[in-house]
Amino acid sequence: MTSYKAQRHVSLILRYVLLVLLVLVWLFPIAWIILASLSYNNTGFVSTIWPEQFTLSNYTGMLMNHQYPFMDWMRNTLLVSTVSMVLSTFITISVAYTLSRLRFAFRKKFLQIALILGMFPGFMSMIALYYILKSFNMLNLAGLTMVYVGGAGLAFYIAKGFFDTIPRSIDEAAEIDGATKWQVFLHIGLPMSRPMIVYTALTTFIAPWVDFIFSGIILSSSGNPKNYTIAYGLYNMLHSAKGTSTTFFTQFIAGCVMIAIPITILFIIMQKFYVNGITAGADKG
Amino acid sequence: MKLWQKFAVGSTALISATVLAACGSSNSDSSSTSSKGGVSGSVKLWVDNTQVSSYKAIVKDFNKKYPDVKVKVTQSPNGSSNAKTDVAKDPAKAADVFEVPNDQLGQMASAGYINPLSPDATKTVKKNNVASAVKGVTWKNKLYAFPFAMQAQTLYYNKAKFSDEDVKDWDTMTSKGVVATDFTVPYNVYPIFLSAGTEMYGKSGEDLKGTNVNTQAGVNAMTWYAAQKHNKGVMQTSNVLNQLKSGKAGAILDGPWDAVNIRKLLGKNFGVAPYPTVTIGGKKVQMQAFLGIETFAVNSNTPTKSQKAAATLAEFITNKESQLRIYKDQGQIPVDKAAEASDTFTKDPVAVAVKTMAQSSHSTLMPKMPQMATLWDQAAPLINGAYSGSIKPADYMTKLTAFHNAVSKKN
Amino acid sequence: MFKRKNKLPPAATYREVWRKGDWATKLSFFVMGASAFKNRQWVKGAAFLIAEVAFLVWLVFGGISSLSMLSNLGTIKTKKVVYSESQGVYLTKLPDNSVVILLFGVLAVLLLVAMIGLYIVNLRATRTLYVLNRDHEHIESNHEELASLLDRRLHGVLLAVPIVGIMAFTVLPTIYMISMAFTNYNSHHSIGFSWTGFQAFQNVLSGDLAGTFFPVLGWTLVWAVCATATTFFFGVLLAMLIESKGIKHKAFWRTMFIIVYAVPQFVSLLMMAQFLDLQGPLNNLLLSWHWIAKPINFIGASANPLVARITVIVVNMWVGIPVSMLVSTAIIQNLPEDQIEAARMDGANAFQVFHSITFPQILFVMAPSLIQQFIGNINNFNVIYLLTGGYPMNNNYSGAGDTDLLVTWLYNLTFGQTQRYNASAVLGILIFIISAAFSLFAYRRTNAFKEG
Repeated sequence: MTSYKAQRHVSLILRYVLLVLLVLVWLFPIAWIILASLSYNNTGFVSTIWPEQFTLSNYTGMLMNHQYPFMDWMRNTLLVSTVSMVLSTFITISVAYTLSRLRFAFRKKFLQIALILGMFPGFMSMIALYYILKSFNMLNLAGLTMVYVGGAGLAFYIAKGFFDTIPRSIDEAAEIDGATKWQVFLHIGLPMSRPMIVYTALTTFIAPWVDFIFSGIILSSSGNPKNYTIAYGLYNMLHSAKGTSTTFFTQFIAGCVMIAIPITILFIIMQKFYVNGITAGADKG
Repeated sequence: MKLWQKFAVGSTALISATVLAACGSSNSDSSSTSSKGGVSGSVKLWVDNTQVSSYKAIVKDFNKKYPDVKVKVTQSPNGSSNAKTDVAKDPAKAADVFEVPNDQLGQMASAGYINPLSPDATKTVKKNNVASAVKGVTWKNKLYAFPFAMQAQTLYYNKAKFSDEDVKDWDTMTSKGVVATDFTVPYNVYPIFLSAGTEMYGKSGEDLKGTNVNTQAGVNAMTWYAAQKHNKGVMQTSNVLNQLKSGKAGAILDGPWDAVNIRKLLGKNFGVAPYPTVTIGGKKVQMQAFLGIETFAVNSNTPTKSQKAAATLAEFITNKESQLRIYKDQGQIPVDKAAEASDTFTKDPVAVAVKTMAQSSHSTLMPKMPQMATLWDQAAPLINGAYSGSIKPADYMTKLTAFHNAVSKKN
Repeated sequence: MFKRKNKLPPAATYREVWRKGDWATKLSFFVMGASAFKNRQWVKGAAFLIAEVAFLVWLVFGGISSLSMLSNLGTIKTKKVVYSESQGVYLTKLPDNSVVILLFGVLAVLLLVAMIGLYIVNLRATRTLYVLNRDHEHIESNHEELASLLDRRLHGVLLAVPIVGIMAFTVLPTIYMISMAFTNYNSHHSIGFSWTGFQAFQNVLSGDLAGTFFPVLGWTLVWAVCATATTFFFGVLLAMLIESKGIKHKAFWRTMFIIVYAVPQFVSLLMMAQFLDLQGPLNNLLLSWHWIAKPINFIGASANPLVARITVIVVNMWVGIPVSMLVSTAIIQNLPEDQIEAARMDGANAFQVFHSITFPQILFVMAPSLIQQFIGNINNFNVIYLLTGGYPMNNNYSGAGDTDLLVTWLYNLTFGQTQRYNASAVLGILIFIISAAFSLFAYRRTNAFKEG
């Protein structure tokens, strides 16, 4: 029995060692990014792991930069993501609820069409989206928000999977008691889907912080960096002109670290809801 | 196309499902209400992001002379080197006056994105600027933009590693130290084809069939690329500045836009020289570079009533004073004859080196053919293939012929 | 549900409605909402009527011209440069803007279809009213109709806004882009373009782009399989390691891995590209440790294609394994223990348990999401675009590199040097066909697998 125990002990130690090694491998590049953000560099390229010279000037430089107004970007993104979060969450949840709990004539058709639409690569729509928003004269943050919200109607899969797992008998009981479907939705459906609401809200909140493609298409023609969101703004720092990327490269890294921190924290909070949501969706398909 | 869109908005609310609408796509040009005498209008100007403040100052001077023109200076979305794609995305939304390198002018002119210069402006530009700059903005016998700076790559080197004599020849240099460049960027290395004796769209730069790379000269150039891979003194890098700073490279091929940075990196060891001679096909020839002309062009989508204002602005921000100011602020080498003769200019080693490179013996003016897009796209993998050895010497001719055919295709 | 259906009155044919209906019913065939007005359903009647009037006004003032312009996408195809004496400048008379014409044409078609749909709804409502009148049944009052919106017709209310959003931002752009594949919209016809049928398809499938399309398609599929399989398999293993007996602070360990996923990709992948550069930190580190004699070109423009492809798959594992670890964690936690215990009793070792019990069960549960991941990987823009930009270069391709996927190539064709919008639209359609065919096949298979 002692040998078995010793064996277990060895196995545990080995597993811990493996885990620590893996964590090191995984976090090594991240640690390097943070180190790079603290290094003094004027060549636009960081070639060492350990900075030759530590400095905080990248951070202060990024915050004070007039050309690339970091604080404006933060404000813009916060605005877009908050509005988009509220609207998208409502839309996603109500679509998912409708498709999962209500029965109506074109339900099956809707599900099929949604599936088909989801298979067209999103990039195909970029030029069209640009001109649609332009004809509304909305090539701005409001237009960008509309694009994010407009896509919410098709992002119902995970939430629908979640609703599918809740037994329908609860609704039916309430309906027999004379509740309308709206009341059931309001007083039973929504409260029960709290974890799903949190999950959807967090994902839709994070999306504008990491999207640099659509925001670039829609916001770039203004040519005014004050109107950018953070992801496009930072990305644009690297890709706007010859010779300048060297000046802004380390500031870019510092800016990235600054926004990565809050997003990471949100993500860690979201983890739990994420797992619940995905598995609920995966269970049912 | 206007009224109905408004009605469509109304019906949107009602036809609850399949709906979407729009209003006012303002594409048509408004009637010409040209001002008498004075110039007026409102004009949007795109410049590179580092130059915004310089141009704001220039525009201030402009407004002293033309108070009725409202000018908005912003940075161009993806930089002047991407002007073509930025404008093409939506010409109507692009700036009225924008910065663009001359090799994109042909494509823009044939697409109708830009207007030719008026006869008066043409005369002024021709009178004030050096011949190569004028040629650089000429497309099918018309001028399409206002030139303000010339760009040619030169050799920047560390004086601690190379003597002034060393940098005169590529072979000497690479035997004594390391030269770094990026072989994957055709702008850097395509001119070897020109040094080898081929032409790019003929002598005029407008001859569709004139890219004679599928010749022995072309093969010689390919052989040269392949040889550099095994040359210990040549370094392939995507970050020349970093290599120069760390000392791993003693010299780099780079443009004047980086000169200020390089001076900071090297301090008193800063050296700049024209390109060295190279040995291609057993012959010593001058290593060439591309000569590019930075210009401002006027958007043809600009409303008719602001066209005059836009053209006037473009002319003003490229005049002698403006060129000198941009030279002082940004190190951009002027093309104005008078500016070039000025004292500060002749004392600047970078400017002198660029001037030397601008001679036709040292460089070729970038052609403006619309096919240049294909050429850039195809030249990169071709040269890289020769350099990395993925194209075998036996296949050089077939690959060069394929390249020639691709870049000589009519639309 | 079924009770309600029984309450519906027996149907009547439209022919009967037309012949036997009163004047209002007959009028409804032309003036939408007439019979609703007659039966005092003011709100419904007004909605129908306003919709029809608005539609007709639109049709007269713009719809017809929009629809007719769709046939040739504008008449003026070439620009004209004229000299304006009054201003002393050249002016360019631009071609008709086909982009806008096409967009509004598609919009007009959508509106037309919507109107036809609404007209059918109107006919149905008219028939229902006719039948109710005929059988002397109760006709819903205005109030009841409105109340039903929150009950029987709740789905309509909840879906109305999302559907408008989907129409505007997904359906319209998608149809628009599909139409673009049948035009000659490219850098040579960037303002005024025309219909050219299947010309662009020909270019991609057998013309000058075919030599790029098929190899890129091949790599896209290989990539999608490898990326999906590696992240899934190692994600499961990692989850099992963390969930295994004796490991403490499981949430902490999970979080360590999740950090990588949480960092925005345009940060982590762009920096990763530099990390792996020929002269980047990783190579310098390996060189200083004397693990390698000369730097490895992982993802540079002149890298070995095989090395680069392996590198992107490995980097994708770095980003993707944490996610699939999270997902499989939840599944592992819910796995029935008894089977595993039973197997242990029978003397199965850890590998056998994993091989024949745990893994199949996870696979079973995750099959649908794996299919989705596979589709997602076919369209995995970020990893390729940010990490390699399609490099290494390939001199046999046109406008693409060795690691380019169809979707990044599509992006290059639109926003790169060559601006071949029509070809990129064709690629989009082909990607759709591939994804659709694959998922149809896979869903069939997994369903059979589940039932069997």
